Amino acid sequence: MAVTTTLTWNEERSFQKLLGNVSLRLLYKSSVHGRSTVEMQNRCRCQGPIVTVIYHSNSIFGVFTLGHSSDMSESFTEPNASFFFSLQKNETMEMKTVVLNSTVTFYRNNLTFCFSSYYNQKLSLNFEESRIYIPRIFEEELIVKSHAKSTFLECEVFRVEGIKDEAGYINRITRAIQHRNSLLADVRAYSPYADLVSEIRILLLGPVGSGKSSFFNSVKSIFQGHLTRQAIVGSDVTSITEQYRIYSIKDGKNGQSLPFMLCDSMGLDEKEGVGLCVDDIPHILKGCVPDRYEFSPQKPITPKHPTFITSPSLKDRIHCVAYVFDINSMDNLSSKMVAKLKQIQKEVINCGVAQVALLTKVNNCNEVLQDNFLKMNKAMISQSQIQNVNKILGIPLSRILVVDNYASEREMDPVKDILILSALKQMFRATDDFLEDLPLE
Amino acid sequence: MEVATRLTWMQEKKLQNYFGEKQFSLLYKASVHGFSTDRLLQICSNQGPTLTVIYSEDQIVGAYMQKDYGEGNYLIAVFVFQETTITECKVGPFKLPMLFDKNVDGNLEVSIHLKEKTMYFNKNAMEKLGLSQIYISFQDCEVFRCEDLLDERKMSGLTELKESLLCAIRNYIPYGGLVHKVRILLLGPVGAGKSSFFNSVRSIFRGHVTNQALVGSDPTGTSEKVNLKCLLLINFITHSIHFNLQTYFIKDGKDNNTLPFILCDTMGLSEKEGLDMDDIPYILEGTTISVLYHIHPCMNCIGNHTVCPLLKDRIHCVAFVFSANSVGQLSHEMVEKIKRIRRELIKSDVVHVVLLTHVDTLDLITKGDLIDVYKCVPVKLQAVHRKLGFPLSDIFVVSNYTSEWELEPVIDVLILSALKEMLRAADDFLENFPLEKTGRCV
Ligand SMILES: Nc1nc2c(ncn2[C@@H]2O[C@H](COP(=O)(O)OP(=O)(O)OP(=O)(O)O)[C@@H](O)[C@H]2O)c(=O)[nH]1
Ligand SMILES: Nc1nc2c(ncn2[C@@H]2O[C@H](COP(=O)(O)OP(=O)(O)OP(=O)(O)O)[C@@H](O)[C@H]2O)c(=O)[nH]1
Ligand SMILES: [Mg+2]
Ligand SMILES: [Mg+2]
Repeated sequence: MAVTTTLTWNEERSFQKLLGNVSLRLLYKSSVHGRSTVEMQNRCRCQGPIVTVIYHSNSIFGVFTLGHSSDMSESFTEPNASFFFSLQKNETMEMKTVVLNSTVTFYRNNLTFCFSSYYNQKLSLNFEESRIYIPRIFEEELIVKSHAKSTFLECEVFRVEGIKDEAGYINRITRAIQHRNSLLADVRAYSPYADLVSEIRILLLGPVGSGKSSFFNSVKSIFQGHLTRQAIVGSDVTSITEQYRIYSIKDGKNGQSLPFMLCDSMGLDEKEGVGLCVDDIPHILKGCVPDRYEFSPQKPITPKHPTFITSPSLKDRIHCVAYVFDINSMDNLSSKMVAKLKQIQKEVINCGVAQVALLTKVNNCNEVLQDNFLKMNKAMISQSQIQNVNKILGIPLSRILVVDNYASEREMDPVKDILILSALKQMFRATDDFLEDLPLE
Repeated sequence: MEVATRLTWMQEKKLQNYFGEKQFSLLYKASVHGFSTDRLLQICSNQGPTLTVIYSEDQIVGAYMQKDYGEGNYLIAVFVFQETTITECKVGPFKLPMLFDKNVDGNLEVSIHLKEKTMYFNKNAMEKLGLSQIYISFQDCEVFRCEDLLDERKMSGLTELKESLLCAIRNYIPYGGLVHKVRILLLGPVGAGKSSFFNSVRSIFRGHVTNQALVGSDPTGTSEKVNLKCLLLINFITHSIHFNLQTYFIKDGKDNNTLPFILCDTMGLSEKEGLDMDDIPYILEGTTISVLYHIHPCMNCIGNHTVCPLLKDRIHCVAFVFSANSVGQLSHEMVEKIKRIRRELIKSDVVHVVLLTHVDTLDLITKGDLIDVYKCVPVKLQAVHRKLGFPLSDIFVVSNYTSEWELEPVIDVLILSALKEMLRAADDFLENFPLEKTGRCV
């Protein structure tokens, strides 16, 4: 007899995504292996992180527990963070989640989860009679209906494969989505200091291939809900981006414009006469360079250029400069590049514009921030690349932002979104400081 | 300790293919769950077909069992896996748990003693398997459940996914309603599979495999030579020929509506001949020639084209098509040519993606792998990324319909997913397009 899960392939994929792109391996299925907690324990003991899936009349719910707590001995009395989720078996396939500290006991063919913070509430399964008792919090948090005498149809246990580090995993995957959504709301709701302008302009400056155009694409992708490729990106010896572009981003397909614009430029090259011309930069900063201006590496724009903007106003100028670097190249920037950067920075400081550094292509985006996502963790801050940016450009640590652009994946990822949105938020703060300091005219 | 197999990806793949496109789920690992026959049977009984793998210092030996541990007497396939070859011999029939039972009377051909970490063979089995000793002492033993890679459950999931993709594509409206149909240009070396991709898309919307565009194996290119013939034979092409370019509307099988996109097939690129570089800007602009005639590749004919190209006539997205088989060996000239074309696209802001065809012909790749194909071909994706500089997320893997008689949901899903991304790319192009220009010429 073939042992296959009752989950449809679609449902399985939703669960895999919910748990962070993991794989699920079916270990126990009550209808095949017997409705018995002993059978279940035998098969699921020492299997690492597991998820227990219970099929109820028109919903499915799951409990995800981590490896060290899943030894499934008689009971584990230490409360553990467990992740409960439910999926409605209808067209919308709505998912709900909640994290609860729980203890698990196996007793006389009963599997029971008790919740330390909800006295007297428990989830319990009686295998002999296929009965299930669903606690009130589940009705509230997971929209599963319970009846006095509810039965469950099937119970399956899977091993969860593909979890890299276990500590804090449950917290992170569940909180990541929440935090991402709240950051998204913050970015949407941003309004520049004292409404001096309606949209701030952030200029992306950096070496060829550092990920400037990809950063714009990534930000746009987050607001569109799927990967987008409006700015052409790629790798070549010379810059892929040849035009100056001022991108405004819509919130959703036909939504409103967001309160910021990203200005994408040609990449910098250490050689003179190649890449973005340093003499173009003051003009860009002042807002004299028009959208879609074709850069020419050898000669900077002059006021004679037909579309040169001769008297730019505050809204046309750059309000924040983000120096974009590939984090992996930070330790071996050539001295010529460093000299060029310092020259550029002088111009930026002359204009008094806000500055941040944006490091792209970080390898493990799960290990950048503290568990609460509110700042970079100590290990990250102490990395030589971060210290180098701090040293070379004198940018304070809180204004050094680390991201991993959407460059190799096909699906959106909440942890990546958090880094990108947090970077944007810090750029807004820097910009507000700049706007606040502007001399009143 | 982590419950993860010691098999490398390659080894697992070879075994999966050897035993008939299976997927393995690790159930028991002796070094984690204990070298105990009782434990093994507790975990692995009633799991359907299983594969037992034994790891010695320098060898991988195993047994494939088509039935449950619990069921009657059966033949067991014992194998030795050396580097790339698998040597097999059938033993039995006997009750499966007897394989692990050292107290069985008689001379079993093979037995595994977990406690002693030793596997014994009789002379006969030893010879058949090409072993040099009658016992092997091992370090670990793993048992996997074997499932079909493409079982019914996955097939119905794929069919569902296909339907939702079809629905999304049928209902696609180009960005801002700027045009009715977006035009997707297929570009790539000779024999890359451009015409086949067109045929595959058409087949999916037709509901059965069709072959409108001629495909071929002519090393100098097929599409160029048959241009004219195609045009005369098939009234389906309502539009004109763009230099060396063929445009097809694709009709939707169900209601005979035309779909919101047009695929433009071109003659293949080659180092010397083939599609002319100078034509590319005209092709992108949608310059049309009013008279249908066949153009020799060397002839550079630019007279007689419409003066103000309309947004609706131009190309909105380009797909570079490469064969996964040969993309690693593209000649230097070809790479340079593609990079030059790419610069041309960047100049006109045309968004582009890459289609990697022929994945079905790669070593070790079976139909079941197409479900999760991106995990199976990382080397090929990297090759395109490194050689040509395209970002990884812009590369889409497909398998074209070539010899199939019937549609396969797993192939359809790959092709439709790629198509959906191309439509999104076209949206990005339209959103990026300067509106001042569209005002006059939509
Ligand atoms: N892994 C990874 N790759 C990235 C990231 N950002 C960009 N890339 C890749 O790096 C390459 C260059 O990215 P672009 O966005 O074109 O860089 P750019 O700074 O705009 O480059 P130019 O316009 O040529 O100066 C592309 O292949 C991207 O896919 C990132 O955060 N992570
Ligand atoms: N197995 C396999 N064969 C393919 C695939 N795509 C194309 N082929 C075969 O490759 C050969 C060339 O395909 P075509 O579609 O004619 O290629 P093309 O790019 O149109 O070639 P030209 O028109 O000559 O430039 C034909 O024999 C096809 O059957 C694929 O995905 N898998
Ligand atoms: Mg760029
Ligand atoms: Mg062809």
